[in-house]
This record gives sequence, C-alpha cells and structure tokens, in this order.
Amino acid sequence: MLVAALPWLISTAYWRGILVLCAMNVLLALALNLVMGYTGQLNLGQSAFFAIGAYVSTILIKTYHWNFWLAGVAAIIAAGFLGLALAAFAARLRGHYLAIASLGFAVITYQVLVNWESVTEGVRGIYGLLPPVRGTVELFYLIAAIALVVYFAMENLVRSPVGDTLRAIREDEVSASALGVNGALWKAFAFGVGAAIAGLAGCFYPGFVGTLVPDAFNIVESFTMLAMVIVGGMGTMIGPVIGAVVLTFLPELLRGFGELRLMIYGIALTLVVLFLPGGIASCFRRAR
Amino acid sequence: MKLASRLALAAAIVLASAAAAAQERVVRIGVAMPISGPGSYFGVMDKEGIELALEQLKGTVNGYKLQVQYEDSACSPLQATNVVKRLLDQFKPHIVIGEECSDASLAIAPILNEAKVVQLNVGSVTMKLTESGYKYTFRIFPNAEQQSAPLVKVAHDVLKARTAVILHEKTNAGNDNAEGFKKPFEASGGKVLATIDFGRDVNDFTAIATRIASLGKVDVLPTFALEGQQVRLSQALAQAKVVKGGGGSGVQMGSIWLPYGYDQKAGEASVGYVRIVQFDPTERRKMVQDFVSAFKAKYGQDKVPTHINAHAYDAILLIAEAVRRGAHDSESIRDAFSKFKDVEVTTGRITFDPKGQNADLSVVHFVETQKDLSWKALSWQ
Amino acid sequence: MSDLAALVVQQSLNGVYLGCLYVMVALGLTLIYGVLNQINFAHADFVTVGAFTAFFTVTRLATKLLGLPDTAAYLLSIVAAFGMGALLGLAINAAVFAPLRERGDELRPLIATIGVSVLLENAQLALFGPIPYQFDSPFARETLRFGRIFFSAQSALVVCVSAAAIAALYAFLRFTFLGKALRAVAQDRETAGLMGINPGLLIGLTIVIASALAGMAGALLGPVLVLSPFAGASVIVKAFAIVIIGGFGNLQGTIIAGILVGIIEAFTVQYLGSGLIDLVVFILLLAMLVARPTGLIAERKEENV
Repeated sequence: MLVAALPWLISTAYWRGILVLCAMNVLLALALNLVMGYTGQLNLGQSAFFAIGAYVSTILIKTYHWNFWLAGVAAIIAAGFLGLALAAFAARLRGHYLAIASLGFAVITYQVLVNWESVTEGVRGIYGLLPPVRGTVELFYLIAAIALVVYFAMENLVRSPVGDTLRAIREDEVSASALGVNGALWKAFAFGVGAAIAGLAGCFYPGFVGTLVPDAFNIVESFTMLAMVIVGGMGTMIGPVIGAVVLTFLPELLRGFGELRLMIYGIALTLVVLFLPGGIASCFRRAR
Repeated sequence: MKLASRLALAAAIVLASAAAAAQERVVRIGVAMPISGPGSYFGVMDKEGIELALEQLKGTVNGYKLQVQYEDSACSPLQATNVVKRLLDQFKPHIVIGEECSDASLAIAPILNEAKVVQLNVGSVTMKLTESGYKYTFRIFPNAEQQSAPLVKVAHDVLKARTAVILHEKTNAGNDNAEGFKKPFEASGGKVLATIDFGRDVNDFTAIATRIASLGKVDVLPTFALEGQQVRLSQALAQAKVVKGGGGSGVQMGSIWLPYGYDQKAGEASVGYVRIVQFDPTERRKMVQDFVSAFKAKYGQDKVPTHINAHAYDAILLIAEAVRRGAHDSESIRDAFSKFKDVEVTTGRITFDPKGQNADLSVVHFVETQKDLSWKALSWQ
Repeated sequence: MSDLAALVVQQSLNGVYLGCLYVMVALGLTLIYGVLNQINFAHADFVTVGAFTAFFTVTRLATKLLGLPDTAAYLLSIVAAFGMGALLGLAINAAVFAPLRERGDELRPLIATIGVSVLLENAQLALFGPIPYQFDSPFARETLRFGRIFFSAQSALVVCVSAAAIAALYAFLRFTFLGKALRAVAQDRETAGLMGINPGLLIGLTIVIASALAGMAGALLGPVLVLSPFAGASVIVKAFAIVIIGGFGNLQGTIIAGILVGIIEAFTVQYLGSGLIDLVVFILLLAMLVARPTGLIAERKEENV
C-alpha cells in the first residue's frame, strides 16, 4: 500500500522524521474529528489529552520503570478519563461556551504541568527519552499501523448505529433527546474516545523528540489540530487525514522562505477556510 | 523498473556531488536559531553578528570558503531536532551553531554528537549541556554556575547583602540561574525572602513590586528575565520604592541577560543596578572597539552591539581561528577547539575545559549603573 | 494605616487598574459575540496593532512632524489607534465575517480569524522585528502618592479613559437610535430585519466599534506591555475567560468580570505567586460554567426549543 511504500520514497532522516510526526497528527486529527465532525462538539481542549498521554507514559517509564507498552495503556486510560471529565462539564454547554470551557481545560492542564515540578519537572524538561522502537522507519511503520487500525475502527463506528446516534446529536440535540437518545452518555463516549486516541498519539511524542517540555502542549496545539480537521474536511473520514498531511508538510516545505514562512501559512489557512467550505476533501467529492 | 532507474539516477547524483564536495575547499556552518516566534529576539541579533563576521573575513579563511545555512528552530525542542536533521541530511555541516534556548540546545546535543558534528553553543545557560559527557559540544557562554557564583560573592562580600528576593522568568534558563544564586547565597548565610517567578507573558509588575515591598528590608534583588520585562520590572520596583533608583535601599542585581541600552530604557529606575556583563562596548580593548565601530557602520550609528551580537560574532571568529590552524572538517575542528588556550574574542578569552565549557572567567565583568546611567566597572576577582 | 490595610488597598488598586486593561480588550470581544455569535481570534492582534500605531504616532508623527508636547502627542496616539482599530474592523468584516455570515456556520469564521491572527502576528514580526520597543508615555513617568499608596499617572489615565469609553458605549446603546437598532439586531436578527433595520450594516458597525476599542486598548496598554508583535497574545486568553465569566454578549457582566479578574490576579500574586495566575483564573472560569453558565449577570437566556 501507499503508506508502506512511503519510507522508501522518502529516504532522508529529516523527512522520515516528518513522516512520523505526520502519523501522530493523523491520529490527533481523527480523534478531534470524532468529537467535532461527527458529534458536533466544539472541543478546543485536545492538547490537554495529548499532553496527558505524553507525560503519564513518560513519568511511568522514567520514574517508575514501567515498560513502554504498559505505560502507554495507562496513559491512554488516563487521557480517556480526563476526556470523560471534560464531558461531564460539557453536558450542559453548547457552542462557544463549550469551546472556551475546553480551552480553559487545556490551559489548566498546561499550567499544572508547568507548576507541578516535583512530578513533571516543569519547564526544566525531561531528557534522554527513547522511542519504543529504534529507527525512524520502524517508528513510522508502528504509528502508521496504529493510525490505520484506528482509521478503520472509526470508519466502522461511524457507519454503525452509533454513528447515526452521534450524528443525530450533532444535528439537533434537543430533538434527538426527544427520540430517546441519551445525549450526555453519547457525548461522554465521544469525548472519552477522542481523548484516549489523542493520549495514544501522546505516548509516542516524547520518544520521538527525545525531550519533553510543557511548551510542546500549549493551547496553540489545539488550534493546529482544529485547523487540520477543518482544512481537511470535517465530518468525513478521509478529511482529517488529508488535513494532517497537508498541515504537517506545509510548514516544513515552506522552510525555504525563511521569515515569510508563517505568514504564508496564515494566509493559506485563511484562504482555504474562506473558499473551501468542506475542506479539501470536498474537492474530491465534487469532482466525482 | 521505474524505481530502479530512479534509484540509479539518485545514486549517480550523490556520487557526483560527493566527488565535487571533496574537491571544493568549503567549511559548512549550520546555524540553528529561533527565527520565528518570541525567541526570534535572539535569532535576529545572532544573524547580525554572524553576518558582520563573515563580511569582515570576506567569507574565506586560509583558502577555505565559509558557507553558512540558517534554519529556524523557534526555541522548541521539536523544531530544533527537525531542523538539525534537515541540516544533517541536506547541508552536511561540519559544525552547527545552536541553539539559544536551553531545552532546544539539550535536544539537539545527542543528535549532533551521534553524527559526530561539532556543536558550538553561544547562548544556553543550563549546566546539563556540558555535564552530560558530550564530546562534540562546546560552549562559550558562561553556564549557570559561572554566572551566579560570582554574583553571590559580590552580593555577600562587596554589597554586604544578607536578604534577597530572587526574581526570574519561568523557563529552563531562569530556573537554573535562580537556583544557581539561591544555593551559594544561603550557604554563605544569606536569607532568601522569596523566589518569585513569572511567565514571559506577564507585563504588569506593580502587583509583584507591591508584594516585595511588603516583605521587609530587601538588600539585593537578583533578577533573571529578558530586557523587555526587566525594564517594566525595574520601573515598578522603583515606583514601589524598593530599589535605590526609586528611593529605596535594595540593589537590583543581574546576570548577562541585559544588553547595553537597558539603563537608558529603564531610566532612573536602573540607578544602582549591579550586574555581570559579558560584553562591554566601552571596554578599551582594540578588538572590542573595532567590533563596535564595524557594527555601527553596518547597522546604523545608533545601534550598539549587544552581547548576543558579540557571542555570535565570536562564534565565527573561533571557527575561523580553527580553520586558520588547519582544521577543515568536524574532527579537526573538534581537535582545534579542545586545544584553544587564551584565544581572544570580543567577549574575553576562550579556553575550553575538557567538558567543552569555556573556563576563562575573563568574560565576566561587573558594572554598576551610575546616576547618569553610564556604567562604572567594579573591580573584583 | 496599618501594614495589612495599606497592602490590601494597594493591591486592590493594582487589581482595578489591571482589570480596566482587561476590560478594554474584552469589551470588543463581547460586543462582537453579542451581535454575531462569533469569536474573533484576531482581536488580540488588533490590540497589538493599536499599540504599534500609537507608538509610531508618538515617536514619528506627533513629536517630530507636528512638534507637539509629550502629553498631547500621547493623547493623539490614542485617537490614532482607535482609528486604526476601526480600519482593521472594517477589513475583517469585509473579508471574513460578511461573506461567511449567511451560511450559518459557527466554526468557519472562527478558523478564518485564527488564520488572520497568524497572518497579522507574523506580518508585524516581519515589519517590526521581535525586539521589544520602548513605549514610554509621559504619564507613566509620574507617580502619584497618597500616604503609602502609590500608582502611576498612567494607571489613573487608563481607569479614566476606560470609564469614559464604557460610559460612552452605554449611552450609545441606550439612547441613540443606532444603539437601539444594534440591540435589536443582537436580540433577534430576523425580526430586526423585518422592522426595516439593515442587519448587515449594523453588524459591520459593531465590529468596527469593537475593533476600534481594541485599538484604543492597545494605545493604553502600549506603555504597560512589553511592546512586541507577541504582546496581544499575553492578554487574549484572559480576555476570553472574562467574556465567559461575565456572560457572552453581556456588557455589564464583562466589566464586572474584568475588574474581578484583575483584583484576583493582584491578590494571587501577593499570596500565591504569579506563576499560578492563569491557573486560578481558569479554575474560576470552570467553576462559573458549572454554577452559572450564563454568566455573572444572567441577562440572556440560553436558546431553548
């Protein structure tokens, strides 16, 4: 398949590293898409779950000498729980209230990571971290494989009656509850799963970079994830993948532009949002 | 089929360029600096220093062309590791100057050391950089201990300070500097009344100044933050009558974070400030004065070079010196550096210790801000 | 005055001053939300642009070209920043909000404003560079003292201008025809349209006013902030929190919330440490959302069936 061939076409350490990053971003985008695209909840707090995945797994490995896989499972569960906690808040909130509340959640998580120095080392950072498999190519295959599994699992989910339920909540929560749908329960489900997947991506991040600092998880990350989902095409399965790929490679490709790089990025983002309502995925749908 | 011919073409190109590279006499210098984001404060000044040095050398030393490539590492470990990998893949540098921020420098050290490429650090303070056994990492910037220990000595012996309030920005460097002051100060019998940290986004310091004023008699206030915040902080402290500049009795102290010109910006509030400077543009040494005039000629008569400019300039000078002594690739540059003794640069003299840290403390001068906002060099050693 | 009393009074004053700064930024946000149900993420960058406009007005225009004395130059710069903010408001309305309005999409304008924010920040970075500018207002150099209490003339100015701006806004909304039309549009866009009010025009006007306020906030904040292209980012997240705590679209709530946050910040610094400010403010935010989701002063009810 195309994905398996990628590391052969791309043979330099630098671009392979970007591939790994891309795979992680695909996971993050898929997670957010579940909550936002299919369940219609404007969640700006995903960076918190990404962070929890990274920190919980790292602390368990470094301080308590857990095995990577066990630590990963623990981290995913932790992130999932946090997602459920956010859902408890979200139960009563709509639209922009939810957006800012989730943002607040992310800020609080970030601040806790920065200030709870005895556990997280705060801004000093944790160093000398290793990925579960040596070798960038192997790491890419691992994460990409996981991403593919998640993709197919999610695709089945949204095609099943569960997906219909989530979509019903997205379209009109009040009417859905009139039909007997327990909105709070299903929102919690979506949030929990979305958070767990973000936590999953988080497990791989510290090993890849080698260094873990809280700044990697400030709220700008949440906005980047949001951009990936929207630019790719919200509410579709392939959309977030496209968005993740484009928004991971675009800043790197623009490196030749030096100082103008981020300005171009901002313009590109604005233009896509203004002129492509369904994101890039909609181009393919129209073309068919 | 297609793939095979593509591979063959790629192989041919690689061989051809390798052959070409072997014939050219070039020393490739990678620069990983923050060019975007708030860290670009450093990156902009680094570039100025490097460009000036290259211009003066006319880009060539000892028959070798000095080729520089800048990459944006944005003060972040992730971006720094990305750009270093990019440099290693595409540019194949013999030496990389990087980074400014401690986390980023620590993140790229293992990668560069594994690739056996020299890392020359001109801006990070963290002890870990030279305490982790990296054979290819060299630093001309004084580390946290080298900065703080003299500061404590001056506070205790010269200023006779017994109480202190430490102020620092909440970053790796800020924390390290604060710790570096606290330990020896308390060990020599001083009392730290409070350690106050703040994020880089804090703008108003009136509340903090009020809090300090309520703590009682404070003799010294070691402060570790960037220029912009320090100006506001000093002004707030003066307003609250905590420091000499405002009619109080406390003396603000600091490390080398502040460039020349800070006193003019902070105004009266900075009177009595005692700090270490690494680069003193008023120093009478010929090299310093030449540098200052050249800098002004290139960048404008009203721009005085800061220590960030000076360090970056010195980095190129050191590389040039290594090349002059016969080095032309990573291994030989590494060897040359490790043998450096008393090499003169604008900030002082460089002698690298076995860990790669510059051990010559001639780079540490003390000055006190006078009423007319000029500097008076304090002699101590 | 006893030590503790003096301290409490001093920090409260500091808090009120900080609060006014936040209110100036948050006011524009809540106005836009009131009429448009939209959050403008580029709002903070409008504040920064306002600050730079004021800075260059003072240093280049007023003193060099016109030869005005310091104080007049600074006051002129506030006006200039106000104007620049208005221009930015016009631009973003034309480019982003107006075209996307009819589609009823909540999210896309939000993302578009994120894009605009990135663009503005980096454009300023390219223009002005990352090194902070020294913006000194003549008012910042004067310190007023009453016994042991002190504050700078700049803080007094900020409080006065904020109060004046709020009063003017209030009067506008309550007593003028345009203001009343605006409130009508905020309450029910369709019906207002049926009554002969042109919603598009009024929404545009609101955005212009809100952005002008942001610009003016920038001029007031300039001497306080570390003036670089990243200045706005330091206040924006708190501004969002204030808008929620006060209630989206609710002016009185925003004002009270802003001052409250300012005072909380001052006392948090005193007793807990400035590293914890954001934490405290956002915990308060979440608590508010649990207890009173509609904000401090529940003026607008959540939409029901």
